[in-house]
Amino acid sequence: MFKHYVLLAAKVLQRRKFFTFISLFGISFTLLVLMVVTAMFDHSFAPMAPESRQDLTLGVHDVVMYGPHSNWRSSGGYKLFNTYARNLPGVEHLSLYTGVRAAHSYIDGQKIESGLKKTDDEFWRILEFNFLEGGPYGTDDVAGARFVAVINQTTRRRFFGERPAIGQIIEADGQRFRVVGVVADVSEMRQVPFADIWVPYTTAKTDAYKSEILGDFHALALARDRASLKQIHDEFNSRLLRVELPKGSTNIVAPFETSLQSVARLLPIADSKSPESQVGRFVAFVAALAALFALLPTVNLVNINISRIMERVSEIGVRKAFGAPTRTLIVQFLVENVLLTLVGGGIGLALTMVVIHALNVSGILQYTQLTMNIRVFVYGVLIALLFGLISGVYPAWRMARLNPVDALKGGVSR
Amino acid sequence: MTRHLLRLIWNRKRQNFLLTLEIFFSFIALFGVVLLAMQFASNSRQPLGYTIDRVWSITVDRKENDEDPVVKSRHRAIYRQLLLALREMPQVEVAAASFTSPYANWSWGGSTRLRGGHQIDHGVNSVTDDFPAVFQMPLVAGRWFSREDDVATWTPVMVNVRMAREIFGDGNAVGQIIPEERDPNDPPPDPTEKPEVRRVVGVFEDFRKDGDLSTPENFLFQRMRLDDGEPKAAVPGRLVVRLAAATPAAFEETLVKRLMAEAPNWSFEVEHEDVMRESKLRQYTMPLAAVGTVAGFLLLMVALGLTGVVWQSVTHRVREFGLRRAKGATIAHIRRQVLVEMVIMTSLAVLVAVVLIAQLPLLPLPHDADIISGSVFVTSLAISAAAVYLLTLLCGWYPSRLATRVQPAEALHYE
Repeated sequence: MFKHYVLLAAKVLQRRKFFTFISLFGISFTLLVLMVVTAMFDHSFAPMAPESRQDLTLGVHDVVMYGPHSNWRSSGGYKLFNTYARNLPGVEHLSLYTGVRAAHSYIDGQKIESGLKKTDDEFWRILEFNFLEGGPYGTDDVAGARFVAVINQTTRRRFFGERPAIGQIIEADGQRFRVVGVVADVSEMRQVPFADIWVPYTTAKTDAYKSEILGDFHALALARDRASLKQIHDEFNSRLLRVELPKGSTNIVAPFETSLQSVARLLPIADSKSPESQVGRFVAFVAALAALFALLPTVNLVNINISRIMERVSEIGVRKAFGAPTRTLIVQFLVENVLLTLVGGGIGLALTMVVIHALNVSGILQYTQLTMNIRVFVYGVLIALLFGLISGVYPAWRMARLNPVDALKGGVSR
Repeated sequence: MTRHLLRLIWNRKRQNFLLTLEIFFSFIALFGVVLLAMQFASNSRQPLGYTIDRVWSITVDRKENDEDPVVKSRHRAIYRQLLLALREMPQVEVAAASFTSPYANWSWGGSTRLRGGHQIDHGVNSVTDDFPAVFQMPLVAGRWFSREDDVATWTPVMVNVRMAREIFGDGNAVGQIIPEERDPNDPPPDPTEKPEVRRVVGVFEDFRKDGDLSTPENFLFQRMRLDDGEPKAAVPGRLVVRLAAATPAAFEETLVKRLMAEAPNWSFEVEHEDVMRESKLRQYTMPLAAVGTVAGFLLLMVALGLTGVVWQSVTHRVREFGLRRAKGATIAHIRRQVLVEMVIMTSLAVLVAVVLIAQLPLLPLPHDADIISGSVFVTSLAISAAAVYLLTLLCGWYPSRLATRVQPAEALHYE
């Protein structure tokens, strides 16, 4: 039976080529936009090297301190994490590292700007970087404030051409570091690992950072197991109640969260005073945006589907007259529509690959290689199915309600 | 005739409702994009208030918390040294220190409550006396900050033309005290401190920090002192320099090395104002380009869809048209009927959309939403409406020709 529907659908789609073209155009374009966004989303939040253990990783990226009339939003300070985030139960490794800051170097009067991140040695144990040369700096290097650096592939090319860089000296903001490791480039959309040059945080020019509650630091914790995640979150929140806050502030919000949760926290509609997850609101917001965008294409597709039915009024009349139940007709039409959407989805996927390739080549997003993986593909197919069902339901219902007598005459339905 | 057409449309209300709905959404989408573009176009016609030729902006990272007045005083001393060092270099024409500079990502929003409770939001920059000279800012009235402000018993400020008008109306602003009152919701003031009295010493044309496409706003300059006349005031975050003509880009290294020699613990990030301008402009044009491309494809899709739907409905109504032809209607009549039906549905969609959109300014939107002027709003509505009419007429044109291709005799013989 199903095979029969598919055959019939293929015939019908070939009959009105203009309508088929319009439908396919609309479907594939809509899916293209949704898929590119999905691929970016996936690239930002799905586990992948170096954040391969992301399901066990929590971080504090955004800290808000509240006073009676004002609030301060920033990254956390070293003191906050060093005093209160050490020895949390369930934590395997805890890393403190700074955000990326621009650092400048001059080679033969030419300026080179690199993103510099200061980290501790645990950073390299939580994140699994792909080392092309050498290795990370260790506990002794950090404790002894040695001027050593790990650089990425692009930085190696800029400073040393294609030659090996281990043992070479690299200058950044007037400080000279010895290169101990070279890693593959990491996309700037992965905010946790991303940088061009990584150096021990103890090489900072002054140690003013050691007394800061708000500052430039992030904390990253690798949990022992999934069960520990909630424990870490709750324990740190309760420790925050004991933090000695600067004058004028009463309350600090700095929850250990997944990357997605911390991005959700930045949304204007998020409740940033609550340390609990804001992902619910984030998903609702993104879904509303996607729905709003898909509204016009859906109405368009519904209109075309109805026109298509009107073309086939006499066929439907015959089938009804020979006793086809309403349900069968509805299913038949939905199958046709879903099939069409899947074909459109296929074209959309192909277009998505072209656009993603263009985005990667354009270099708008630094070091970013968006990919069409299985996950994104599955999302795409699901979006296409949903789209096909939604735009097919109303026309199918209209078709099933046609009066057989009118329909046989090819008459106008009112 | 119109009544008759309305009845015809009503008879096919289900299908026509969906068509109208589609036109309605298209109009809304189009309006959003047109409004954004029109706002940019209107902004770019306003004066900018400065030039950036040969200006470099140097972000200074002082690597130290400066809550402590002792630290602040030490930092100001370093700044004085840095400015001296800069002015000694032959490549530097003028140098100044400030909180922020054009196209920089640092911004500072202030809010001034006037007597009577009227609240004015404005951008703020804190600048040393030479800042206007670096950016060659045109002065409209009064004077720039200068040494004579050192001994003033009030706080000198400068405002842009827009803000002067907002506070003082069309009257003279120079020399006037800004009539402020305390917000009753604020905590009670510190009794040991004298309440601040701010006096306008000059009016500058404008300072549209984010460039040509940004929306003009009120702007206020505070005077930044590098002596310790105001121990609690903030220390600058950047240096700005105008270079002599034909200074090579390689001078940057010399410049940074010289600054590092004065302040070895600080770091300096040199940015060229023209490069900063490019990337700031891109922040405005990229979203417009992305949204515009998507909207363009959506409209193309709608155009094709509408054509298909009208085409189908016309072929379906061949008998009706045949009857009209038989009763003496000309080909032109029939074509006009198809097109007028489109126009009626478009009008309906546009009308509903305009009524809905007109409610927007009445909603309690965030404060900065009133930046869109009425004329931009109305122009955008008009352009979007015209574009939607054009779109639907184009979509109806080919099917309307199709409607008259069938001979009346054949059409009447349909079954």
